[in-house]
Amino acid sequence: MLFKIAWRNIWRNRTRSVVVIASVAVGLFAGMFMIAFFQGALVQEIDSMVETQLSHIQFHNPAFIDDKEVNDTITAGGAIVGRLKKDHDVKAVSGRLITTGMISSASTASGVEIHGIIPEDEKSVSSVSRDLVEGAYFTGNKKNEIVIGEKLAAKLGVKLHNKIVLTFQSKTGDLTAGSFRIAGLFRSRNSTFDEMTVFTRFDDLAALLGTGNGLHEIAVVLKEGQRTDAVAGALKKEYPSLLVQTWTELSPQMALLTGIMDQMMYIIIGIILLALMFGIINTMLMAVLERQREFGMLMAIGMNKPRVFFMIVMESVMLTCAGIPVGILFTLITVGSLARHGIDLSAFSKALSQYGFSNFIYPVLKRSMFLPVSLMTAFTAVISAIYPAIKALRFKPAEAIHKI
Amino acid sequence: MGNIIESHHLSKTYNPDTIPVHAVNKVDLTVEEGEFTALVGPSGSGKTTLLNLIGGLDYPTHGEVKIEGVDITKMSENKLIDFRLKNIGFVFQAYNLIPVLTASENVEFVMLLQKTPKNDREKRAKQLLTEVGLKDKLNKRPAELSGGQQQRVAVARALASKPRFILADEPTANLDSASTENLLEIMAKLNKEDNMTFIFSTHDQRVIDKARRVVTLVDGKIVSDTKK
Repeated sequence: MLFKIAWRNIWRNRTRSVVVIASVAVGLFAGMFMIAFFQGALVQEIDSMVETQLSHIQFHNPAFIDDKEVNDTITAGGAIVGRLKKDHDVKAVSGRLITTGMISSASTASGVEIHGIIPEDEKSVSSVSRDLVEGAYFTGNKKNEIVIGEKLAAKLGVKLHNKIVLTFQSKTGDLTAGSFRIAGLFRSRNSTFDEMTVFTRFDDLAALLGTGNGLHEIAVVLKEGQRTDAVAGALKKEYPSLLVQTWTELSPQMALLTGIMDQMMYIIIGIILLALMFGIINTMLMAVLERQREFGMLMAIGMNKPRVFFMIVMESVMLTCAGIPVGILFTLITVGSLARHGIDLSAFSKALSQYGFSNFIYPVLKRSMFLPVSLMTAFTAVISAIYPAIKALRFKPAEAIHKI
Repeated sequence: MGNIIESHHLSKTYNPDTIPVHAVNKVDLTVEEGEFTALVGPSGSGKTTLLNLIGGLDYPTHGEVKIEGVDITKMSENKLIDFRLKNIGFVFQAYNLIPVLTASENVEFVMLLQKTPKNDREKRAKQLLTEVGLKDKLNKRPAELSGGQQQRVAVARALASKPRFILADEPTANLDSASTENLLEIMAKLNKEDNMTFIFSTHDQRVIDKARRVVTLVDGKIVSDTKK
């Protein structure tokens, strides 16, 4: 019956209660929406990095990572690629040559990272082939073709089918150069990547570098991204002389961001609930002070202090928790819709693409957050009820009954 | 018949350090089981304060109150709440009932506090409300009842806990003549048939006329004690 009294008491002042319930609902919605937005942006950023640069797992000669020396190739790279292609966890594998150099047009030059790839393999590993805005992702078997970022093309003042020159150090340490024709232009989500990375055929680059069949990097995309750590662990054991790294090891800042998302969620919701707490305390305090005579009567007829305390806490919890399903429902509807259609941030596209973010953010709602968020809200309600309840417990029945 | 209530040199002084007000001043009062007693006197004579002290709603400055030999003035606040629940029924002037509960639930509430099983609670609430003539108002909330009906629910609630006596603080103050008459009849009947002890403070001559003992207070002291 105490639950019944508590619930009915909430509705004695409908307007006031509806305002509190709405505050809780809107507060939770705001918090969960913000988290879903950040989560979505982060997931997209990770996907983008995995697709364009990192893949799930990469192999390197350990010495290559530090100086990117042309000589530091992976021993028996081709055999490893062949072995990985047969692995049932692996979706796609691409062997790459990587070197840094200078790309020059008739008017200007720029520093770039040159990736020598086998287009057929690379297509399944990175998204560059899907990000083409002009031209083709290499055509037939023409020699010395290059695919560059649209942004780099603009910087160099070149167009599709124009020629550019790549200059870099060969295996022997000599400076070597090659003339390449632009076969395609791409535009990924990350403008910095577009400006700094170019793609040539593996054979063309290998011939200039003098590396033969040597590989600098083997990029692996798995069928299930969640299995990255397990698969990488096994590969590390299998190839102890090579540096086998997961995308989290290759990009620790992204791994850190992913790791702190949960803490961020608790902090954001905590701040919102802290602000809401004052509103709930105020409402409960008003409710208690308005009913002094009633509390006096209840204590007079034998309602003990723990019961009075419990009743007030229950009122606070019910009042607050009534906002939880409303907030969750509103979040589900809103985020559910935006997760399908995306949030258009094209007005800020320039700034976003510099950091590798897409113009469209698709919020990601982690349903596992509902339970902790609900518990945190209920806890806030209990905390909020303590001061009003203590106030009520201090009423003296004989005085409270006669309060006007 | 034995004494239910005994007070010895009972005093309650407000503002003892500034301007002392002796609301109850060295009152010796004994109430026997089955009495129908009215505490009368002008406003500020100490009727309500005396009822509060007898009912364990307040602590005296001096003196003692014994309920069936137990000194309640020495009890802690928590023990006193429990003692009131088990031994004393209350009817107040107003704001007697829990507004969000129905008449039946209001009566049941005290039994709930006493941990009476649900079925027994419902049965007894119905029986008591029938006794006070509210059989057809079981599911009405206080706001849907007249002042007189609300006071009758309060009497039923006071009886629900099977108390040793009922204290009523100006129970008819807000009632019209018909309701007053009706309430008094119910209380008198309960007193006569069930030997329930009633002590009420009142200004109301109609209540005084019905009482079988009238204790008059002036300035916190008993100035007369008449049994009819």
